[in-house]
Amino acid sequence: MSSAQLEIQLIACIVAVACAIPGTFLVLRKMAMISDAISHSILPGIVVGFFITQDLNSPLLILLAALTGIITVVLVEYIQKTGLVKEDTAIGLVFPALFSIGVILIAKNANDVHLDVDAVLLGELAFAPFDRLFINGTDVGPKSLWVVGTILLITITLLILFFKELKISTFDKGLAASLGLSPAIIHYGLMSVASVTTVGAFDAVGAILVVALMIAPAAAAYLLTTDLKKMLALAISFGIFSAILGYWVAHWLDASIAGSITTVLGFVFLMVYLFAPLKGIIAVMYREKQQRTEVSLLTFLLHLKNHDEVEERHVNHLNEHINWQKVRAKTVLDLALKNNMILIENNVVSLTKKGNDFTSKAIDYIITNEDAQIEDMKDDFFLFRG
Amino acid sequence: MDITEYIQLVFTDYTLRTITLGTAILGAVTGMLGSFAVLRKQSLLGDAISHAALPGIAIAFLITGAKDSNTLLIGALISGLIGTFWIRGIVSKTHLKSDTALGLILSLFFGFGMLLLTFIQKQPNANQAGLDKYLFGQAATLVESDVWTMAIVTGICLIVMLTFWKEFKILLFDKDYTKTLGFNTKIIDILITVFIVLAIVLGLQTVGVVLMSAMLLAPAAAARQWTNSLSVMVFLAAIFGASSGILGTAISASQNNLSTGPVIVLVAAVFVAFSFIFSPSRGLLFRQIRFIKNRRDLELHKTLTFMHHIAETHEDISHPHAIKLLNNFQGYTKNTLQKLVDKNYVQLNGNMWSLTKTGFETAANLYTKQSTKDE
Repeated sequence: MSSAQLEIQLIACIVAVACAIPGTFLVLRKMAMISDAISHSILPGIVVGFFITQDLNSPLLILLAALTGIITVVLVEYIQKTGLVKEDTAIGLVFPALFSIGVILIAKNANDVHLDVDAVLLGELAFAPFDRLFINGTDVGPKSLWVVGTILLITITLLILFFKELKISTFDKGLAASLGLSPAIIHYGLMSVASVTTVGAFDAVGAILVVALMIAPAAAAYLLTTDLKKMLALAISFGIFSAILGYWVAHWLDASIAGSITTVLGFVFLMVYLFAPLKGIIAVMYREKQQRTEVSLLTFLLHLKNHDEVEERHVNHLNEHINWQKVRAKTVLDLALKNNMILIENNVVSLTKKGNDFTSKAIDYIITNEDAQIEDMKDDFFLFRG
Repeated sequence: MDITEYIQLVFTDYTLRTITLGTAILGAVTGMLGSFAVLRKQSLLGDAISHAALPGIAIAFLITGAKDSNTLLIGALISGLIGTFWIRGIVSKTHLKSDTALGLILSLFFGFGMLLLTFIQKQPNANQAGLDKYLFGQAATLVESDVWTMAIVTGICLIVMLTFWKEFKILLFDKDYTKTLGFNTKIIDILITVFIVLAIVLGLQTVGVVLMSAMLLAPAAAARQWTNSLSVMVFLAAIFGASSGILGTAISASQNNLSTGPVIVLVAAVFVAFSFIFSPSRGLLFRQIRFIKNRRDLELHKTLTFMHHIAETHEDISHPHAIKLLNNFQGYTKNTLQKLVDKNYVQLNGNMWSLTKTGFETAANLYTKQSTKDE
């Protein structure tokens, strides 16, 4: 591994971490699309900044562009406040307009600007190690490494300093306001961090990857945990993992590093989306099936309790009476048997004492409108779940 | 170049005619379908879908090895639909919110598309150049057959929309009611979504993935300000969309170095800004004017009540008082005082004012009246 390769991976990792932190809060605050809007609308800021500074890594340019990001947020909120359109429409109106201005500015000055839209949108990480920073003539590493490193430091410092405030205002705005923390300041602070991160990172990885790095790790982490600290840690690890693996995939395919990191991120999210133990799609589907069987079981037991007559409780009769398909009837019957809730003698089904207790309790809950309690009760009664 | 000359050129010049027609049709169809997207609160879906279409274009190219725009559009359509349904899956099956789902699909699909595009660029197939026009769109690459495709799709859209107008409308405003009426909401829903995706995919070649969402939203958002009726809104949105297409093309054609897509989007944005400000019922300008007028009326009421309080203390209600007396009360201006005179509530006599009988009675009943005549 050459030093350039090492540097690229280092930059990618730092960007991943710097994005994951604000990203987690954006996802929790339901403002994920704002990051997309910012990533597009910083373009005019970058172009104007570039006219002034002639250097894509200058701090002034980053500030100017970040300012455009904040203007976007303010504009979106202003339009939303007029009540003329909904919030998402406001976002969708503002950023394409700003982005168009940026594209036109670039096109009109194509001769004097070494900047093209593809580069802004997609970035090229592979070139990052060649743009080096010299202090007094000594080479101290790639410029973008310093830029994103500084941004990461600032982000982490702010996170540690304002962790409590961020947490409260994210989950309970009202409480935050009544405790005297200003939700508005935190909101705009977060937006500023997101803007600065986007601008700092676009040069290295491109605007779209910034969005992916902000949202995807946080979304995947959110499916795995509901603890904010764990979620942050998970999001950061997903980001780093995808950055490194993505680099090597790109190396192997000889394709865009940003694109490949995003693809790995997509793969990570897909895996979590499918296999997350509690919130994953498979777990959800399994739980839904389980619920369905258990509800059927309850209906079945209620039916048994209501009918003492032997003919109503005959296995064959049940099948047609409750109108279930054979398979489902068999699953329900087996489940009830396994849990010792029914007895079958001569093809006649009857409730055991345990089955009787369970059913009476369930009826109590149903008539007092506390259906939710049945869920807890199931844990006490069931040896096997549906 | 003056306008008549330009119009002449539109009719004679093949490229210009194709582009103008293409952007106009595109604007009309996206405006129409965008109305539904905006009203269904799926404004950003367009953004997500247009990004999600990119890998489809790349994969279609990888499979066929040809740059035929129709095959590429089919690829885009398929991957756009996959993206849309994945978004729905995420929103309905997990606790992630729609904004997260949109952002996820948008960035992940786009990144994957970029990976494929850069991968294709390294392939020894000389045919690959020009795929990246789908990123930002190049109206100049439109040819007559593309315009025909657009026109045909727009025609199908129109027919389907008119046939299912009632269903679309009712689903838009009251989903539960639609269900109880026995309509299959799922199918109507999918039908609308497919057409929205189709419109987006059509526009990719012209304005590109990044700006496509604005084409969908802006005409509809502008049209929304002028009317509360769905049919009028759809019609207006189509007109706004088509005009932004035509105007945008004209502006970009008259200047050097101006790509058509961004100009069209900016023209559409101007339509939106104009509608936001000048729409008579919802616009900001008239709202502000109404606001000021209401405040004036309130102040007028306040002045009248104040006068009433003074007049009450005298036996003769029309006893004259100095105007100066009103000075420590902020509510009055010369105008409002004059208004009161015009209404015959107050009589002015030099520096003195006095309430008339009607004025006194109106003031006494000012806050007890159920309905106030406009005053």
